[in-house]
Amino acid sequence: MSAIRVLVGVLGMDQHEVGAVAIAKTLRDEGMEVIYTGCFNTPETIVRTAVEEDADVIGISSHSWEYLYYMPELIELLKRNELDIPVVLGGSVITEEDAAAMRAKGVAAVFGSGSVMSKVVDAVKSLAARDTAS
Amino acid sequence: MKENSTRSGIKLSPVYRPATVDEDYGKRFGNPGEYPFTRGTRAYSGQGWIQRELSGEGDARRSNEQFKYLMGLGQTGLDVIGDSPTMSLMDPDHPLARYTVGTQGVSLCCQEDYRQLLEGIPLDQMSISSSAPSMFTVAGLYLVAQERGISPTVLRGSVIEWPFYAEHCSYAYKMPFDLHLRMSCDVIEFCSKHMPRFHGFLEDTYFFSEAGLNAVEEAALGFVEIRHIVRTLLARGLDIDSFAPRIAILTNCSMDFYEEIAKIRAMRRIYARMMKEEFGAKDPRSQAVNIAVHTSGLSLTTEQPANNIVRGAVQTVALGLAGVSALEISTFDEGYRTPSKEAHLVGLRTQQVIDLETNINSVQDPFGGSWFMESLTDQVETRILDMIRDIESRGDPAELVASGFFKQFFHGTMGRYHHQVQDGQVIKVGMNVHQMPAAEDTLLRDISEEKIPPLFDRIEQLKTWRAARDHSRLIDALTRVHDVVQSGENMMEAVLEATRANATMGEIAGVMRQAWGTPYDPYGYLQSPLGGEQ
Repeated sequence: MSAIRVLVGVLGMDQHEVGAVAIAKTLRDEGMEVIYTGCFNTPETIVRTAVEEDADVIGISSHSWEYLYYMPELIELLKRNELDIPVVLGGSVITEEDAAAMRAKGVAAVFGSGSVMSKVVDAVKSLAARDTAS
Repeated sequence: MKENSTRSGIKLSPVYRPATVDEDYGKRFGNPGEYPFTRGTRAYSGQGWIQRELSGEGDARRSNEQFKYLMGLGQTGLDVIGDSPTMSLMDPDHPLARYTVGTQGVSLCCQEDYRQLLEGIPLDQMSISSSAPSMFTVAGLYLVAQERGISPTVLRGSVIEWPFYAEHCSYAYKMPFDLHLRMSCDVIEFCSKHMPRFHGFLEDTYFFSEAGLNAVEEAALGFVEIRHIVRTLLARGLDIDSFAPRIAILTNCSMDFYEEIAKIRAMRRIYARMMKEEFGAKDPRSQAVNIAVHTSGLSLTTEQPANNIVRGAVQTVALGLAGVSALEISTFDEGYRTPSKEAHLVGLRTQQVIDLETNINSVQDPFGGSWFMESLTDQVETRILDMIRDIESRGDPAELVASGFFKQFFHGTMGRYHHQVQDGQVIKVGMNVHQMPAAEDTLLRDISEEKIPPLFDRIEQLKTWRAARDHSRLIDALTRVHDVVQSGENMMEAVLEATRANATMGEIAGVMRQAWGTPYDPYGYLQSPLGGEQ
């Protein structure tokens, strides 16, 4: 069985990479292939890279409020291109209210403050399995 | 000097020394205000530290109101942070900037912004520190002072120089390293001549330390950068004593109480010896580095945010005992946002309670002479020096930047810290011990849901403003910037003239990149007003 492929990136002007780097390392330690795109991404560059790299899951790390705007754009772009790639959003700035709003927009899983890494890993595995099964 | 005593009436000496002062005391410690400044850079004044809180949100007018609010609460200095585009040399109408304009700092890009930001601020009395790009902050401040008839020679405050690490773990300039280093050196040289009371070189170890570095790593990387910049300035032919008195350091403060105090004592000593013995500085002010501190945002949690108030207070006590020159507390809501009004109030009041109610400033370097603290200071110092040697033995520091050595280093520390917290090696009350169900974790939570929307209006206004400028004057001024970059002269005068001509920060930075042979817009969206290769 081939390894799960996860794209991990940060959107817009958010340059706080600490969380993104940490989760990328954790996913690698779990045997996944991580395509780390770093900062200064747009929804377009994320989707393009996800397609080129055949990613099973897209992971977005956020430490700025830009996710409120970029995440709906990213989900919309995936839909418009008929791409069924689940998106996971994580970041300590994400409040309970925002997490609910993001899930309503179509983000598959949201991890706000206090999230445990193992739960993020489990969510990625589960979403990748769902993708493979379909 | 006021006479101090405890509440029970026990008289306190401002400084305590060993009963018999020997040669070793002089070499390792010295009295406060004396080489090697382990015990502090100034003789006892009893005045405490400059109290300030990080501020800046929305546009310049809104941030100006924030300044006045803080000054009204008794704040004694200002500390400004730009929003992400400002911190990254981008104008607010850059396509990549639109969702973040004014949301995590103030949006600044032209001279009118600085006029509004500083309106009604007594520039001749208030120390103004800024994290925004140094060349443009100095230009803005200098020109506003001139317009108001205030001599730039009386301006106090600081700007950050961070050519080594900014691209890797804070705010990217997207400048070639050599050009970024030159910008820093040009600012330092300009300030030493025209703004002699202003710290044109603040070594900011805070920003990169937030990547999860420990105290030794933070200080070592800071000194690697300081040494390289000093060497570069000396290679220009500058006298060390012409600029060294205006070098300062902004450090982080984690929760390791004793180690943070030892770090600051060790840093003062390392700096003094480096300046005197390595660079030949003769002016005692060149050897005595002022250290300001920002308490650690990384040490805070988004769980149970009220706990962060305690963390800020504990760190402030450590810093008071270490004898820092200026202090700002990372506010309890920092996990979510730049400080809210309520958090600003709590942060500043925390400083004031500790400063005014505890008698903390009645004795200078109260840990001096403690077997434990002196041993820890020596050990921290040795480890910092070992790490500096190790890094420099790997090659020229500038080449290490280019090779990605520091980027790799930071990526290692970023992962390391998160895993230490996850594993429980670093204890965080409310996060990995003594957790509380989310439904019960409500104290001060409402503030976390308040958000500042991006300033979409400002983007549109800026586009209209751009079109109405004197285009011919603008192009002449930007052409001058372009030529000066290529000629190798100090760029500050050309930047001042371009700023007067209403060039924006993004345009000036872009033209600098263009003159260096790199793209005007590193993100590939914009065309240069000077035309030519992008």
